[in-house]
Amino acid sequence: MHFALPPRKTSNPPPYTRPSKWSPTNAAHSLRKQRTLGVVIFCASLVAFFIFLRTVTPASVAAANIPAGTPEVVIVTVIDDKVSQAYLDRIKHNREDYASQYGYKTFYAHQKDFDLGQAPKSWALLPAIRKAMTEYPHTTYFWALSPHAVIMNPTQSLVERVMAPKKLESLMIKDQPVVPPDSVIHTFSHLKGHQIDFVITQDAEGLCSESMILRRGDWANFFLDVWFDPLYRSYNFQKAENHALEHIVQWHPTILTRLALIPIRTINAYTAQMSSRGGPATTIMDDDFVARAVGCEKDPTRNCEREMTPWFDTWKTKYDVKHSHGQF
Amino acid sequence: MSLSRSPSPRAEGGWASPGLSSDFGSTGGTFSPRKAYLDLSVNGGASGSGTVTWANARAKTDEVNGYPSFSTRKTGFFSRHARRISSSLPQFNLGLKKDYSEREKLGRGRPYPYSGSWSDRMRTFIGSMGRRMRMRGLLVMVLILSIILFYTTPLHYWYRRAFFLGGGSKFVIVLAANIGGGVMDWKGPREWAIERDSVRNKRRYAKRWGYELEIVDMSTKKKYAHEWRESWEKVDTMRNCMRKYPKAEWFWWLDLNTFIMEPSISLQSQVFNELNKNVYRDINQYNPLNITHPPTSEFLDPISRSPSGDNKTSSIDLIVPQDCAGFNLGSFLLRRSAWTDRLLDIWWDPVLYEQKHMEWEHKEQDALEHMYNAQPWIRTHTAFIQQRKINSFPKGACGDDDKTYPDKRFHYSEADRDFLVNMAGCEWGRDCWGEMYNFRELSNKLNRSAWEKFKDGISERWKKIFKRKKS
Repeated sequence: MHFALPPRKTSNPPPYTRPSKWSPTNAAHSLRKQRTLGVVIFCASLVAFFIFLRTVTPASVAAANIPAGTPEVVIVTVIDDKVSQAYLDRIKHNREDYASQYGYKTFYAHQKDFDLGQAPKSWALLPAIRKAMTEYPHTTYFWALSPHAVIMNPTQSLVERVMAPKKLESLMIKDQPVVPPDSVIHTFSHLKGHQIDFVITQDAEGLCSESMILRRGDWANFFLDVWFDPLYRSYNFQKAENHALEHIVQWHPTILTRLALIPIRTINAYTAQMSSRGGPATTIMDDDFVARAVGCEKDPTRNCEREMTPWFDTWKTKYDVKHSHGQF
Repeated sequence: MSLSRSPSPRAEGGWASPGLSSDFGSTGGTFSPRKAYLDLSVNGGASGSGTVTWANARAKTDEVNGYPSFSTRKTGFFSRHARRISSSLPQFNLGLKKDYSEREKLGRGRPYPYSGSWSDRMRTFIGSMGRRMRMRGLLVMVLILSIILFYTTPLHYWYRRAFFLGGGSKFVIVLAANIGGGVMDWKGPREWAIERDSVRNKRRYAKRWGYELEIVDMSTKKKYAHEWRESWEKVDTMRNCMRKYPKAEWFWWLDLNTFIMEPSISLQSQVFNELNKNVYRDINQYNPLNITHPPTSEFLDPISRSPSGDNKTSSIDLIVPQDCAGFNLGSFLLRRSAWTDRLLDIWWDPVLYEQKHMEWEHKEQDALEHMYNAQPWIRTHTAFIQQRKINSFPKGACGDDDKTYPDKRFHYSEADRDFLVNMAGCEWGRDCWGEMYNFRELSNKLNRSAWEKFKDGISERWKKIFKRKKS
């Protein structure tokens, strides 16, 4: 039998050897080690990625890009056919003056623009607001204001005055019967300012849709569409859209949770004292924001334009004074 | 050193020191001249091993004349690799000779010293494998074992349930049971049987895929102050379910008279994995109610006026199938969302109800159709699904006769293996229990395991032969 002899070690080893760790076989070994490590890491990251995919849904809501020059507030006015041109010009002047001070815009719509079928013309308010929302697709607030109202005190923006969340929280009337005097449905008492999409006032007869503020969003679309349902329009509510509003607010909590009642004089002070509407609490005082002639539209013995004229005149003098000062 | 294997440099084919050739070199496959030499030496006898006379060598050379004496061995594939192949083969002659005649093999040499029991054989077999092979084998074994473990233990249930893996807990099946019932309407054995089968069917399905199952008691109760609202309970039920399962996302309403025909298909693969392909937003694709779509009012925003909403699957909150007469709420899907809260809130409204409850025979279904028609915000979050995806009809459910019966849009097709059958309207003049029974049996038959199919095949063939002989 012949066995191979082990190879002899060389008698003259090289003076500097690589550290014993590195040798062709060791290198192969560590390479293999690295490879297994790599495989393990790859598998682990694959599992992690898999779980990540399952748990994290893509952020659906990207911050909407609001183009420059978008007004923060649009003042929506729905004009009925009886309004004279002169009066219309005054309304426009009043509103545009206020809007231009704060970079707001105005929006006018005519009742006859909308097909309401047999329903009263006042229902046009709702499609008009939606139309304004379509035309100003990035604006946050829409203030629907009756044509028989004047902005008397333009010293504060609408947002400062009402809609800023902190301000709104201080204004909100909590735990108040939605429909006076004794509806079992009360406004919520736990709402925060940023949760509010709909701001409205209330007098002794009920909710006042003549001056209300809506915030854009899915909720606003939902709210306006529900309110405008043809079966409500055909129901012959005594006060048309106003009663329909009271109805949906009381029956549907998803609407009530976005609603804030604020003191009536904040955005809807009455020009005349009416005991049926709440008496002196609703009547305009010196520095109030808005003056509105209440109830004149449906009363044939009254004339809205004539009632509003002195208020326009008061505003006009203030306006002229301010602007003459501004010129010097 | 077996010089016999090295080619001789000499033309005569002699060997430098022939006596040194060894025995164990004589494995098969060689045709070396050595054999001849050995033969010769044995035959030669007297000279003995190790003595080679010139004559001997000469004679041997003559014998192998014609063969070149070098470089010709092991030319064939087999002869070259024979040893490697044979040594890598498993060996089965496991030392069966237990007597001591082969003394040197006892406990030495070949690695079969054991008694030959199975475990010993296994051990020797594994021992004879290379290390790498062993690791690979182990890996495969572990894999197979873990797959078996996964499916035999509740592990797969928890996997399918976990919201970050299978996602089963995100789905709730809401089953309306115990319809009628109570004192008003005694249930007979057939009604009980229907209920039992339907509930069992859903319970198994939910368990298989890790879904939640909510069985709702629909027995007529006076739940409301005014009896108007009686049996408009779908809405309340859905809302309660959403409260009860706060982590679930999709809620699948099922009427009692439904049967899941293909329990091996998950809801995810049936509908949700490819939601955008399985549903359609534009009702014009199939519009039995002739609803004008998209809405034409000019005051609406572009998304409301688009036929398919914002085209994002994330905005789909309601999935409804349409049958021959319009929306069908026998099997529909609702997603938890702010939109859904609003829908459930608005679905029943006293003013609408007061005006329409005489017309709205199908209650929620008609109310939903009205809302879809009248309120644009509904459309932007509603999607429709081809009816047979989640709500196939049996014959007669669409008021069909033999002429119109197999309608590809509505009717269950065995060939297509439809997912669910809804025996809609069977309580009006059709046999609910009969239909339920037939569909149950059909589902069982279609979903047999391969082994069951094999067995059934044999027994059927047997029966055939037997019958033939009899007749």
